[in-house]
Amino acid sequence: MHLTDEQLNEYLDNETNQREQIELHLNSCNECSIRFSDLQNLFLELDSLPDLQLTRNLSTRFITSGQLIPHLPRWLTLTIFAQAALALIALIISIPFITTYTPQIDFNSFKSPFFEIQSLWNTWLDSLSTLQLPTIPELPIPIIEMSSLLISLAGVFVIWIFGNGLLLRNQIRR
Amino acid sequence: MNAPTDRDLILRARRGDADAYGEIVTQHQTGVFNVCYRILHNRNDAEDLAQETFMRAYNRLNTFDIEREFAPWIKRVAANLCLNHIESQKIILELDDERDEDKSQNPSGQVEVKERSEQIRQALASLPANYRLVVELRHYQEMSYDEIANELKIPLSDVKSHLFRARKLLAEKLYAPD
Repeated sequence: MHLTDEQLNEYLDNETNQREQIELHLNSCNECSIRFSDLQNLFLELDSLPDLQLTRNLSTRFITSGQLIPHLPRWLTLTIFAQAALALIALIISIPFITTYTPQIDFNSFKSPFFEIQSLWNTWLDSLSTLQLPTIPELPIPIIEMSSLLISLAGVFVIWIFGNGLLLRNQIRR
Repeated sequence: MNAPTDRDLILRARRGDADAYGEIVTQHQTGVFNVCYRILHNRNDAEDLAQETFMRAYNRLNTFDIEREFAPWIKRVAANLCLNHIESQKIILELDDERDEDKSQNPSGQVEVKERSEQIRQALASLPANYRLVVELRHYQEMSYDEIANELKIPLSDVKSHLFRARKLLAEKLYAPD
């Protein structure tokens, strides 16, 4: 009985535990030996296929980008996710308590401290209104025309765009 | 002074050092490109996918185990990307004219090797995509049957049948009498 294609393939792939039996058979069977030799030759040809060369350098894109976005340390990423998950769990756990205890809260009890704070605030405002400050010489207020205002806004917008461009220039462009 | 190792370069790249990552790309781009080329058999697609591989790899650099070798990892990323590309595009892969134009070899001394390489590439290109992928993972990335099954999420029996049939087809094309 001859060796199957599967046995020969598994032998050459080092994926069989019948190596000795297969070797023994190959030594005594000419037909299987020829099939084995052909398959082995195919393996050699496939494995020795030379590499092709690239027509462009793929690293240029990364090098010209200057600085890549640094990765956060794994522990920090995990901590952030853990915190978010804990906060979400706490919120879910607290929902029954909120629905139970909220109707029991006497909101009138909050009124008196509130009124006390309001009274203090009024007193402070009164004292502030009577405060005498040295007179400040009047400054001439320039009259701003609509066109100047628009030009200024446009200038600020351009600076903002430019600033963002500077901040994002190191990111990898896809 | 010794050249920096992959490990050093990866640590620097993780901190955002573009030059370090550029160096990694320079060192591994040919290997990655050839993985893509053997699967896709189209130079332009292979170069684009190789570029995409390095982009993806950078985004996943934190998940890479620094104690392991970088080359097998990046090649698996490339193989997966090519697999997704084939599945999403459902493309009919066409051989391109530049196939096997190896600029590093001297034409006069390597004609026979080039011709044979050309025949092997053509035979590989003629295989169905799933067969080609299994051949890539077994012969060029030296993965075991189990690893291939895990990687492609297919049964072990499918890995074997794809691989054995692929080899049978290759043998028929390469060793058939004219």
